[in-house]
Amino acid sequence: MLRDVSRWYGNVVAVNGMSFTASPGITGLLGPNGAGKSTVLHMLSGFLKPSAGEVTVLGEPAWGNPELYRRLGLVPERESVYAALSGYEFVRLNARLQGLPDADRAAREAIRLVDLGDAADRSTDGYSKGMRQRIKVAAALVHDPAVLLLDEPFNGADPRQRLHMIELFRRLAAGGRTIIFSSHILEEVERLAERVLVVVGGRLAASGDFREIRRLMTDRPHTFTLRTSDDRRLAAALVAHGSVVGVEVGDGRLTVRTSQLGAFARAIPTIARSCDVTLRELRPTDESLEDVFAYLVNR
Amino acid sequence: MIGIIAALTLRQLLGRGRTILLGLVALLPILLALVYRIGSEDTDQSEWVAQVLYDGLVVTILLPLLAVVYGTAALGAEIEDGTAVYLLAKPVSRAKIIFGKLLAAWALTSVTVLVSALVAGAIGLQGVPGHGLLVGFAIALVAGSLVYSALFLMLSVFTSRALIAGLVYVFIWEGLINGLFAGTRLLSVRHYTLAVADIFVDLPRGVFDAKLGSVPAVVLMIAVAGGSVWYGIRRLQRFEIGEST
Amino acid sequence: MSDEGNASSSIYDLGYRHYEGVRVGRRGTLLTLYTHGLRSCFGLGRRATSKIFPWALAIFAFVPAIIQLGVGAVVSGFDQKIELFKHEDYFTYVRIILVLFCAAVASELVGKDQRNRTLSLYFSRAVSRFDYAFAKLAALTSAMLVLTLGPQLLLFIGNGMAADDLGGYTSDNWDLVFPIVAGSFLVSAVIASVGLCIASYLPRRAYSTAAIVGTFILTLSIAHILMNSIDPAVARFFLLGSPVAWEGAILWLFRVDPDARNVLTDADLAGWVYLLAVLVTIAATFALTLRRFGRVST
Repeated sequence: MLRDVSRWYGNVVAVNGMSFTASPGITGLLGPNGAGKSTVLHMLSGFLKPSAGEVTVLGEPAWGNPELYRRLGLVPERESVYAALSGYEFVRLNARLQGLPDADRAAREAIRLVDLGDAADRSTDGYSKGMRQRIKVAAALVHDPAVLLLDEPFNGADPRQRLHMIELFRRLAAGGRTIIFSSHILEEVERLAERVLVVVGGRLAASGDFREIRRLMTDRPHTFTLRTSDDRRLAAALVAHGSVVGVEVGDGRLTVRTSQLGAFARAIPTIARSCDVTLRELRPTDESLEDVFAYLVNR
Repeated sequence: MIGIIAALTLRQLLGRGRTILLGLVALLPILLALVYRIGSEDTDQSEWVAQVLYDGLVVTILLPLLAVVYGTAALGAEIEDGTAVYLLAKPVSRAKIIFGKLLAAWALTSVTVLVSALVAGAIGLQGVPGHGLLVGFAIALVAGSLVYSALFLMLSVFTSRALIAGLVYVFIWEGLINGLFAGTRLLSVRHYTLAVADIFVDLPRGVFDAKLGSVPAVVLMIAVAGGSVWYGIRRLQRFEIGEST
Repeated sequence: MSDEGNASSSIYDLGYRHYEGVRVGRRGTLLTLYTHGLRSCFGLGRRATSKIFPWALAIFAFVPAIIQLGVGAVVSGFDQKIELFKHEDYFTYVRIILVLFCAAVASELVGKDQRNRTLSLYFSRAVSRFDYAFAKLAALTSAMLVLTLGPQLLLFIGNGMAADDLGGYTSDNWDLVFPIVAGSFLVSAVIASVGLCIASYLPRRAYSTAAIVGTFILTLSIAHILMNSIDPAVARFFLLGSPVAWEGAILWLFRVDPDARNVLTDADLAGWVYLLAVLVTIAATFALTLRRFGRVST
């Protein structure tokens, strides 16, 4: 939904020539602070005009298009909600502003979805951070939008609430919605996002499933961890092989780095057999999002 | 929808601290009128009310102060604390938002200033005929309140420093500069208000002089109010969230 | 990293290091707070938007003096003395500009630290609450001095140039210098102290701005109205708590009697009473400000 979009403030370029399309399902925007994630979300939600390029949501331009908000829900990053209202009143207010015919019912339903039923009648002033986050999500869901945008939704949520929200988002996405959220916490993006957009320095550094991204990173040696019956002997044999770049023995584990994934994968069983070593475990160790991310950021 | 927004805004504007402070301010003319009745010698009451109380205090200070506080807070407070998103990310036309907020700010300012002015004026004019004076100024205050509110609401869409900007407008432009250069009165809401009062009030020039013709005043009032509203709507349509530092 | 020859390993503590050098002491902290405060009054080191109002208002304060300067430069050589503005009247002109400046700036000085809760950071260092409040007051007063003393000096020079003999003019009018400087200090200090007091009790910017402007303008207006409405003998005491008192004090400093139409004539109080009232105002509001910082939760 972004096509060659850029946004600059005077001399500072916040977003630089980004293009991507998000389809139904969960997409995570990952990037270090200041990379431009919030800028992208603001542009998607119609609150920032791109300096260049086009931002469209559901086929319509995002900027200057209030009607779009019937099908778009937004959970902003800032914590504040209207003061002195109960959670229920807040969600119902959002429903009324949406022009929903039965605001009460929609509000109750949204609150049920985020599991805040018992706290709904208390004033939001007394809410914990996680509760406030959830009431914001309820307010954004009250009109059953097709697209949901969340800016750092897991900020300050405790682990239990986070799990609950992850489950909620999965359910929503399964219903055919498009969910886009931003985060700088790898763990959450790894757990929740089906598709990851890595944003670094205003550019899109990578997109797709993070494991596949890893495979695409061919100029970086892959690392494997092995447990064998005789680490040292296998290590000596492996070093002789051309595909192996480095070997590390220690701690009951053998770590091997290879620059040619395919050749190594084919060779390892043969080498092991020729040394008479039994392979007990072979695991890639750097396919986590963290490693992918670190690599992309430092590129 | 305008009603919902107006009601919401009204509820926000009537926060405890603000209401108490402004309530005290609105009480001042009433207290002054009481003091005047108790303590004065025989002076011309309608002169005092028109010149000292209304021209000097209510129109010059009370009305713009109330309008500035309510007008800039109606939308400005939400923009500043980040809750404006909830209102703006809705399929509501920006015009309806502006009208709703304007209605709330105007109503609150008008009611406050009217109660203050009418009660004070009634006390000041006690025992003396002069209800035309009260009615005339009442109409003028309501009209002036509309123009001020529209102006300050528009300012608050443009800048987060709308409050101080409004205060500078009122006290430097309308205070200092209008006093020095007569021509600038064409662009002064205070003088529009006084001119409207002039239509209904029948006092000799020495007592109360609006210094601006009534017809140009009304025309300009409509122009300024309408222009502010239109401009405010346009700007709100192009509203952008600033980059958080 | 000495090696004892035993090859025994140790890990060296390269973390937190104590500072054993020279410490600047109280004067240093006061000076730093003062400079920082003065800079933030004029928006230096901040975004452009926080510079607009202070600078615009400052320019406004200078305009009449510049006009006088210009006129003086042009007509020098003629025999007449063209004095567009008297020094004492200039204070009355610039009054509202000072109030607006204070309103625009006080919240940045004093409210911001409270809003951001950085106050506890200040007070956990070697900064006493008195020092903090005093430095802020000094900074704001100095900023406003630029708007009071600055134009006054320009005015003095302008008048001197109109008389075509700056040196002679200066020695003739030497007795004006003390009232100019004292008056500038007085007005700056009283507006700063009252404004700072209000801003420290109302940290939110919108509230303090409106409250500062409201307080000064309403006290002024009420004082005038009361003088016009009831027996001056009673009403004149209200003058002492209003900006009219500044005018009274300044006129006394200049040894000038107030105009016949001036409210002060009706009040008929000795000039030094006003001076006293202004000093009391400064002291009282500063005491309140100190009290506020003494109680602020850290």
